[in-house]
Amino acid sequence: MAKKNSSDDLIIANRELAFQKDEKGKRADELIIANEELAFQTKEKGKRADELIIANKELAFQTKEKGKRAEELIIANKELAFQNKEKGKRAEELIIANIELAFQNEEKEKRADELIIADKELAFQNKEKGKRADELIIADKELAFQTKEKGKRADELIIANKELAFQNKEKGKRADELIIADKELAFQNKEKEKRADELIIANKELAFQNKEKEKRAKALIIANKELAFQNKEKGKRADELIIANKELAFQNKEKEKRANELIIANKELAFQNREKGKRADELIVANKELAFQNKEKEKRADELAIANQELAFQNHEKEKRADELAIANQELAFQNHEKEKRADELIIANKELAFQNHEKEKRADELAIANQELAFQNHEKEKRADELHVANKELAFQNEEKGKRAEELSIANNELAFQNEEKGKRAEELIIANKELAFQNEEKGKRADELIIANKELAFQNDEKGKRAEELVIANLELKKAEAEIRKFNEELEQKVIERTVQLESANKELGSFSYSVSHDLRAPIRAINGYSKILEEDYAEKLDLDGKQALSSIIRNSKKMGQLIDDLLSFSKLGRKEVTVTDINMNALVKSVIEDLLFDSSENKVEFNIKTLLPAKGDQSLIKQVWINLVSNAIKYSRHKPKTNVEIACYSKDNQVVYYVKDNGAGFDMQYYDKLFGVFQRLHSQEEFEGTGIGLAIVQRIVNRHKGTVWAESTLNEGASFFFSLPDINS
Amino acid sequence: MPYSEVEILFAEDSPEDAMLTIRALKKSGFANKLHHVKDGAEALDFLYCRGIYTSRNIKENPKLILLDLKMPKVSGMEVLEKLKSDPIFRSIPIVILTSSKEDPDIQKCYNLGANTYITKPVDSDNFFIVIKEIGLYWMILSQLPA
Repeated sequence: MAKKNSSDDLIIANRELAFQKDEKGKRADELIIANEELAFQTKEKGKRADELIIANKELAFQTKEKGKRAEELIIANKELAFQNKEKGKRAEELIIANIELAFQNEEKEKRADELIIADKELAFQNKEKGKRADELIIADKELAFQTKEKGKRADELIIANKELAFQNKEKGKRADELIIADKELAFQNKEKEKRADELIIANKELAFQNKEKEKRAKALIIANKELAFQNKEKGKRADELIIANKELAFQNKEKEKRANELIIANKELAFQNREKGKRADELIVANKELAFQNKEKEKRADELAIANQELAFQNHEKEKRADELAIANQELAFQNHEKEKRADELIIANKELAFQNHEKEKRADELAIANQELAFQNHEKEKRADELHVANKELAFQNEEKGKRAEELSIANNELAFQNEEKGKRAEELIIANKELAFQNEEKGKRADELIIANKELAFQNDEKGKRAEELVIANLELKKAEAEIRKFNEELEQKVIERTVQLESANKELGSFSYSVSHDLRAPIRAINGYSKILEEDYAEKLDLDGKQALSSIIRNSKKMGQLIDDLLSFSKLGRKEVTVTDINMNALVKSVIEDLLFDSSENKVEFNIKTLLPAKGDQSLIKQVWINLVSNAIKYSRHKPKTNVEIACYSKDNQVVYYVKDNGAGFDMQYYDKLFGVFQRLHSQEEFEGTGIGLAIVQRIVNRHKGTVWAESTLNEGASFFFSLPDINS
Repeated sequence: MPYSEVEILFAEDSPEDAMLTIRALKKSGFANKLHHVKDGAEALDFLYCRGIYTSRNIKENPKLILLDLKMPKVSGMEVLEKLKSDPIFRSIPIVILTSSKEDPDIQKCYNLGANTYITKPVDSDNFFIVIKEIGLYWMILSQLPA
């Protein structure tokens, strides 16, 4: 179309060319100038293009860097997003854990410790986050470096999270064990519940903080997403710019080539125009060629116009592009500015986080202290639990005992119930009795009044007695003195008794010695006197007169009597020293033997014995025999001058003693001299009337006395005498 | 009288008692073979052939010894103890003639081996009877060792 038009136009143009031959020259000049200007402009454009190329290269480099950074940021943001998600999860897990913790607060003892550790770790992590935040500030400038650190950190956090998860599992197990323990500790739970409420509040605060963090994290995620989106857009823009720049560069190259070609073409055109000027004539042909050439040139011009238009358009586009790039740069700058602001906000946020972490640390420390207190309380509670366990055992034992006791008490109660019934009855009886008692009490009241008076009298008497008691105390003291003196006196007496006993024993020994002397030494001379007198009487009687014979007879008789006296005295003294051997004595047999042994003097009457049955007695048989001998022989002797001799021997019982007696009808004695009757060598009759030494009754008394008996006599002078002696009976 | 013919050795320090005893024995016909010594020492000299009795033959001993207890130098109790502990004289009967009626002496003498214990009566009639009875009993009735 354009060629048809142009061919049409060329016809016109050829017509006009002719007209415009001059105009063409001018126009050629203008074209030269325009070409020169174009050349200049193309040079400028080349410079500009070079600058643009450099700028584009720089831009491309920057976009590349930005792309890298954007990618790094994308990765970092992804990691951050992942971390934030993990944190969110962790936060949720922590919330759950905290809820569980709140639920499990009874067993906080160990879990609290673990929470302390966890809190410390959290605090440590928060510190790390704080550091990280600080590092993020730096990382805003050196994000690439920090992403690596974040990667490491992320791994550590993953491990920490795993550890936390493991700890949470362990806590779960622990929680189950602690739930069982909690049942035992149910008593202690109330205290812990209070504590738990506080911890719930603390956990809620923690949860709230975690939510805030979560929101913050979400906000950061959105911001990162926006940043990522922006970066993506920037990346696209950058790519487009790169392509555009490449096209621009290519177009610029093409334009440069075209420009060069145009320069050459313009030079050829200028040369041709000069040749045309020279060849004006030759132009007819040449015009044809020229027309052709013009056509070509017109085409070429059109093309150039189009190219210029295109170039203009391109330049315009480039300008637009440059403007857009400027805007993009401005946006980039703005974004960087925003990022800086964001960084500042992050710094502030991190500071806030740091501050919150610090607060959490404080809280953690407080929790640690609280947990220690809880641990101490739990320890005390455990001790208490042990003590309670022991106490429970004791209680159980006591309960058993009480159970037994209860059974016993039940039985006892039944008995008591029965007793109570009985008591009820008794109570009724007692009511009656009480009435009687009330009456009696009235009587007693009266009596009491009387007694009060009596008591007053008694009090008075007591006073008197008190005085008397004091006097008695004094008297007792005196008595004690007296007693002491008496005791002393008794001791002295005792001493004297001992001394006397010794003296008596000595005297007895002397008496023994004396008896021996008498026995041996006195008897010998008397025997000599008696013996020699007898020799005189036998051998020299015829040489003596009657008086001499009577004197000799007297010597013999007296020496004989003296011998008898000495023998009697010795036997009497021996009696005092002889031991009494007590046996039961058959008195009938003893008396019979005594009577049979007695020798009777021719001067004496035949004796009529009247012997009653005699009771047995206790005594020394040989000594008692001597008593009977002496008494019976006396009875016979002193009955000698009577026409008949009757001797009655009998006994009677009296006061555990047997009283024996020998009764005769002989000379008797005057009771006036009764006190001399039992004296040694005492005689109440003359030697001529009745011979004897007067030792017989003394011996009787001594023997009876040694048997703790008594001897006594009754007599009427010339009518007879009765001699009594008593001995203990065999039952005593 | 040669010592070998002595049948009765009579130890008595009292000359009166000795005279009365010898008189009583004479009247009974036992005094002609009697030898009287004045104390225990002499009695032992006689029996052991010492002092003035060294000429006596120890193998020809009296048949009976009458011994008073209370004697000077050596008492009758000591003589009794000595003789009854000596196998040579143990078998010779010893009659204790004494004034003592003390029980301890009687018991002691029999413990030492005395054959008879006689208390000399004061009454001379009884005394003669007792001595006569002793002579009769020991010299006639008793069968003594050779």
